Amino acid sequence: MWTIAFLIVLTLVIGLGAYFLFLWAVKAGQFDDVEGPKYRMLDDD
Amino acid sequence: MLRCEHCKLPIYENEAIWGDYGRERLTFCCHGCKGVYEIIHKEGLESFYEQRKWDDSNYPLGKALFRSVQANQFEELVKVEKDSIKSINFYIDNIRCASCVWLNEKILTKTRGIKSARINYATYNAHIIWDDSEISLQDILNKIVSIGYCPKPFKETESFKLQKAEAKDLLIRFGTACFLSSQLMVYSIALYAGYFQDIDVNTKFALEIIALFLTTPIVFYSGLPFLKNTLKSLRHLHFNMDTLISTGAMSAYVFSIYQLFIGGKVYFDVASMIITLILLGRYIETTAKSRASEEIYRLYELLPTEARIDGQEDRFIPIKSLTKGQKIRIIPGERIPIDAIVINGETETDESLINGESKPVFKTVGSIVIGGSINLNGSIVGEVINDFENTFLSGIVNSIMEAQTRKPHIQNIADKVVAYFVPIIFILAFMTGLYHFFNAHTLAYSLMVGISVIVIACPCSLGLATPLAILIATTKATKIGILIKGADIIEKVRMVNTVVFDKTGTLTVGKPKIKEIIIHKVGYDKESVLLLSASLERHSEHSIAKAIIEAARGMSLHTFETVETKPGRGIKGIYEGVHVLIGNRLFMSENQISLTDISSDIYNYEKEGNTLVYVSKGGELIATIVISDKIRDEAFDVIRDLDKGGFQIYILSGDNSATTLSVASRLCVKNVYAEMLPNQKQEFIRDRQSKVATIMMIGDGINDAPSLKESFVGLSMAKGTDVAMESADIVLTREDLRLIPILINLSCKTYNIIRQNIFLAFIYNIVAVPVAMVGLLHPIISAIAMALSSLCVVTNSLRIRN
Repeated sequence: MWTIAFLIVLTLVIGLGAYFLFLWAVKAGQFDDVEGPKYRMLDDD
Repeated sequence: MLRCEHCKLPIYENEAIWGDYGRERLTFCCHGCKGVYEIIHKEGLESFYEQRKWDDSNYPLGKALFRSVQANQFEELVKVEKDSIKSINFYIDNIRCASCVWLNEKILTKTRGIKSARINYATYNAHIIWDDSEISLQDILNKIVSIGYCPKPFKETESFKLQKAEAKDLLIRFGTACFLSSQLMVYSIALYAGYFQDIDVNTKFALEIIALFLTTPIVFYSGLPFLKNTLKSLRHLHFNMDTLISTGAMSAYVFSIYQLFIGGKVYFDVASMIITLILLGRYIETTAKSRASEEIYRLYELLPTEARIDGQEDRFIPIKSLTKGQKIRIIPGERIPIDAIVINGETETDESLINGESKPVFKTVGSIVIGGSINLNGSIVGEVINDFENTFLSGIVNSIMEAQTRKPHIQNIADKVVAYFVPIIFILAFMTGLYHFFNAHTLAYSLMVGISVIVIACPCSLGLATPLAILIATTKATKIGILIKGADIIEKVRMVNTVVFDKTGTLTVGKPKIKEIIIHKVGYDKESVLLLSASLERHSEHSIAKAIIEAARGMSLHTFETVETKPGRGIKGIYEGVHVLIGNRLFMSENQISLTDISSDIYNYEKEGNTLVYVSKGGELIATIVISDKIRDEAFDVIRDLDKGGFQIYILSGDNSATTLSVASRLCVKNVYAEMLPNQKQEFIRDRQSKVATIMMIGDGINDAPSLKESFVGLSMAKGTDVAMESADIVLTREDLRLIPILINLSCKTYNIIRQNIFLAFIYNIVAVPVAMVGLLHPIISAIAMALSSLCVVTNSLRIRN
């Protein structure tokens, strides 16, 4: 029982971490220009 | 006029970039060309300039010529970040590719005082942060202009901003739903397993409580837009997709909470999946949607903004403050800023943008030049005849906007089905509850059985059925060269029963070509006439001259002396002491060259829609060159296919009736209308559409733009004018008319797939409805229905790709 409770809490924490990362990405405009990065990565300076 | 040493582009002295190379001083149009020139020389590859076969730029005149940009137009866009740190957003015109973006970004970031410069690769909007104490906005703008790009003050329209905010909001709601649903699935699977191999009551209760906590935000946060819309639609008793989604999700949610406390079975997974999948569908739809509002706004960019006042050539005044009767000077290569009557000078103008006329139009004192057309070869003074608001071009832009608002809107198929489905399910649920109540069950039990009917009837994958099929269809279309702007368009193409073609540039190639050279004098052959004509014509910018030079590509041309071009007539020059003249009939008769000897057969060419150009040498006519605008090879097949497919076919053209009729008769099209003005075309389409026709219009010029917007489906060629492409619903990125039947087939196929998808989305749930009606609904059944219908919808949609 203790293991299940521990795992439930663990998944929720990891999941929340990913969720907050996603929220940050949207707010920071990471989805605004989805064309650019593929060109910018070739830019070597 | 100076020419760029590298690309041969004509440039003004004050805009030229000079480079000193030892004893030589050379001119360049831009730093790019200068850079390339220096690289070529450094590598010892000078022979490139001797070997290349062209001595003229192939760049269209006018577009490359920029004027300085005034910072005061940008003032209102500037935001103060901190002290002297400021930021600005504006649009950079003339960006064509990723390298342009790269160049602009690099040049700007390397400039002292600029903190950061980012340009959006999709929208070409630049975001620049700079220190005002180190560099002024004017210097930044000049920097951009100096490398050949044109900053434009671009304010996002309110509706566009709203649309963007909406998409962002939707993404967050969808992401939240995804995160919670994926967590929820873990507990749901545990509960499913419990149904088969039993589960401790306390553990079950704990898992269900967690599920409740995960589902609540999905229903009330992610699903909020649906709930709101449902409240609105219920007031009008109008049932749409949102009604079905929210009643389905809400009933599953309420039902589950009740079951949770009486120790029954919960359906939280149904509530969350319905909302998550529908949000996915909505998100696909919004991202695929075109930037329609922004596009219309861009139309205005075509209108020139400044004019040159006569007598003060270095002074520009804004078009808006021009009044009737003011005199403006228009120099070659510039766009004519406003409708005007010529009072001094002679020139030819390119009006292809306005009326589709492919040949330059001769203008002399008394002629009217149209704002937006390009002045080709002579400097003229014009008197303004229309205010800024009433110009021909702004008239076109206005009629496009008007047509936009009138465009018919078709109802989504899914919505149509739902409109019947929702009331039926409500009635069924009500009857079921009633039946159980009168058969000696408690009220609570009867109510719950009734609700369970609604729970199972709501198909999760319904929200995916249409957007997924359309997404796959549009992706496929893009791959083969059809750019579809907007999700509903692929559904609309199928309903078209009439196809209207523009002539120039659509059915024909739009580029004049030599069709035939007829020799009148012994001692000459086609080769020598072509060589002679091309040698002289290379001094002209005329489109016919270009056709002749194109045909003579690869020949080593003669050198002419004292060449003189006569706009609207022809060209003359001296070769080895002999006068050579090339031009039209008027030019020949003005120079006393008799055309009476030639056989009347050649006039048949004229009747067939060709243009005749006469060549004379030493006062004698030696040959006639027949120039034609070729009909696209595939046009014949396409027209025949469409005709067989039962489509009504029309040709509308702004060109003269002889040429238009000849093209139409060769293509076997009976319904032809020539000499149509843009608004007449639009009127024609509106008139037909008000009766029985649903029209697909295919065009390429700005003259087609209003009709493209007016028509049910507007289709433009990629090489067409920007305005045409922006007013069209569909753009053919590959210039091939055969794409039109393919597009129609694709649309029919997609429509069928959508119908099948809707059937597949509903069927598993409908089959399970009787189980719910007898009160035996089980979470496993709903889970199976969800999984099967989603799987079927996805795999069925993928069939569009084959």
